[in-house]
Amino acid sequence: VTPDEIRSRLEKLRKAGVALRRHPAVATLEALARVLDAWHDAVSPLRRELERELPAATGFSPAMVRMGLRCGLQEFRGDALRALAARELGGAPRLDAAGSEMVSGFETTAVLLAGQIPMPTLVALIAPLVLRSPVLAKASSRDPITPRLVARSIAEMDAELGDCVEVVEIPGDDEAGVGALLESDCVVATGSDSTVASVAARVAPPRRFVGYGHRVSVAALGQAATRGRALAEECEGLALDVALWDQLGCLSPVAVYVASPEAGAAGRVAEELADALARAEERWPRGEVDVAAAGRIAHERAEAELRCAAGRDVTLYAQEHFTVVREESAAARPAPLHRFVRVHPVGGPGELCAALHPLAAHLAGVALAGFGADTHGVARELADLGASRLCRPGRLQRPPLGWRHDNRGVLTPLARFTDLEPTG
Amino acid sequence: VKPAPAADPRRAALDAELLGWMRESRWERDDERFERLALGSFRFQFEHCPPYRRFCQGRGVTPSSARSWRELPCVPTGAFKELVLCSFPPQRTRHRFLTSGTSTAQRGALHLDTLELYEASLLPTFRRHVLPDLAPGARARICVLAPSRGEQPESSLSHMFDVVLAELGDAQSGHFVSGDRLDVEALLARIDSTPADRPLVLCGTAFAFVHLLDDAERRGRSFHLPGSARIMETGGFKGRSRELSRAELHGLLELRLGVPPERVVNQYGMTELGSQFYDSVLARPGEPRRKLGPPWARVAIVDPRSGKPAAPGEAGVITVVDLANSGSVCALQTADLGRARGDGFEVLGREPGAEERGCSIATDLLLSDGQA
Repeated sequence: VTPDEIRSRLEKLRKAGVALRRHPAVATLEALARVLDAWHDAVSPLRRELERELPAATGFSPAMVRMGLRCGLQEFRGDALRALAARELGGAPRLDAAGSEMVSGFETTAVLLAGQIPMPTLVALIAPLVLRSPVLAKASSRDPITPRLVARSIAEMDAELGDCVEVVEIPGDDEAGVGALLESDCVVATGSDSTVASVAARVAPPRRFVGYGHRVSVAALGQAATRGRALAEECEGLALDVALWDQLGCLSPVAVYVASPEAGAAGRVAEELADALARAEERWPRGEVDVAAAGRIAHERAEAELRCAAGRDVTLYAQEHFTVVREESAAARPAPLHRFVRVHPVGGPGELCAALHPLAAHLAGVALAGFGADTHGVARELADLGASRLCRPGRLQRPPLGWRHDNRGVLTPLARFTDLEPTG
Repeated sequence: VKPAPAADPRRAALDAELLGWMRESRWERDDERFERLALGSFRFQFEHCPPYRRFCQGRGVTPSSARSWRELPCVPTGAFKELVLCSFPPQRTRHRFLTSGTSTAQRGALHLDTLELYEASLLPTFRRHVLPDLAPGARARICVLAPSRGEQPESSLSHMFDVVLAELGDAQSGHFVSGDRLDVEALLARIDSTPADRPLVLCGTAFAFVHLLDDAERRGRSFHLPGSARIMETGGFKGRSRELSRAELHGLLELRLGVPPERVVNQYGMTELGSQFYDSVLARPGEPRRKLGPPWARVAIVDPRSGKPAAPGEAGVITVVDLANSGSVCALQTADLGRARGDGFEVLGREPGAEERGCSIATDLLLSDGQA
């Protein structure tokens, strides 16, 4: 796709947007709600097609993709979209009517997709359309499948709405092509912090820029979750959270903090989690690992082995497809992903936030369990630290549609708000 | 500092044989000698470095089972950040080299009881790859774009440059970086005063060269260094200058300094290693650029997924068995990816540049703080 072709598609989208805005916003919202319901339906042809095609394109295992979609789309429903529009926009009518609070979308929105996890792609394409802003999406080189299917699902539901979505596949280093995309009125970029920063530098006001950099998630277990049945249940949930999307998602926990004064608590968690990850591997096998990631894993495993050999209080539980390292302290360490989890002891709930501080700027979700009466206090501290989602182990990979990713809304960053006060 | 004699007679014997090899004028692969010394060093280090012994035992490799240098368990370089890995009593430590990094980053440390092997290894390797045309007994004009050992006593690179200056540099050779300041005017004057028939070497950190290039650009100046000039650059840029690819750096060195890429040598070295590897462009002109090292250090490219040697031409982790590491551990696993290339290898770096697969991030990228 040449830069001129991209500009021409952008122009086509502008015209399609004009046509779309002639219809009530509620009609658009309803069409999108039906699209989401179709994606939510596990036996819909769309879901089947994505399940079939994604493994080959991404290297994920088919069983993991099936389970990942089942969890990831569990809360993605038409009703959730209606509720989201009500919560963040005050309802779709505010996009049409004149009133004290009015909302508009941008004439066009460009979305630069990254990675190969489908749910963020689905939200990224649908959210601007709720605001009746046509979308020009640049597919991630690692997942050309999902945006194509999402665009098709929208077109099949509503042809006019389908005219408001264009997906292009251009390399990230195609400066001229990306430059043409960035001529959109609103630009949403996902990717590494450096990628997001470099795109941001190219989007000057009055155009809107919305960036989503990389994030990490963790788990925190209190004393009550470190023994008996609770321990087994929470570790089973954590293993699912780790295994889905091979720990590559921003909601995948990279470390477990065991907030307990008891010396053996972290060891029990690590052992139980390793057993659970072994079982997870049987059900949802890990996919391909490239040589760079495998190198990082090998390096960190060997480093843990050596610390054990040097008499440090560290234990390594590893099988071919996963690694659990029970650490001796709360100090943050490299996380190579691909099902590599560190279990850190923390003296108690009061020390949890200090332990998480090095990750604070990138913290997304925290799976919490076993804090009993301290739960609300811990939650408050985690919120202040910057976590955008707190949930139970096993729920991290089932985010609500309205999850305020990066501590902000789903729709509001893409919207323009107007307050109408009494006029003369 | 006067080298301390090796206390253990077996270590002394190994070091003596290795020193003899390093001082030979021949420069050739000697499989039998390398294998014997590697297995001898392994036995010694297994016995004298308890963490390494237990590490090897955990992997089921002992001196009686190891048959080849390729079987030696490799210590990850990251381990030097928090463990003292030496094969001599720690109280005999005479030198400590630290990896680069900022005050907030945990820095790796190599403890040495002698510098004799380190210095004996670096000199012939530097000479062969940077000054292959230097006549016996002659000296070169060497301009170092890095601080001196006096300023940075714990930098192995500064130590290396000081040894090179002392042994191969002429009277006008010297350092042109002090603190964080690069003295461009003094450097240019020293270059200008270099006799036409004297080999001229600019060597230093890659980020120092970026500062030099940026300075030249600010002043709108380009230089044409004499035909005898060659550049040796090493290390990364992170946090010290803008980041450039090696190809970009070499292109700018040609554009601004007039030194063509075939006379720019990148050195691949690290604090944890006693020996260094250099681009082949001066030692083997006309051949494909690749990294070559001394005969007493071997590189194996290992597929981390299988733990076996990577297929020819395929990327893998760079592992090194460096006999010059007799005081610590000879077998090291680096954090870098590389690819075998003929009789040498090429370095692909830590991240091959591929787009991230997910929206999470390997936290070493979050936690890293200017570490090289």
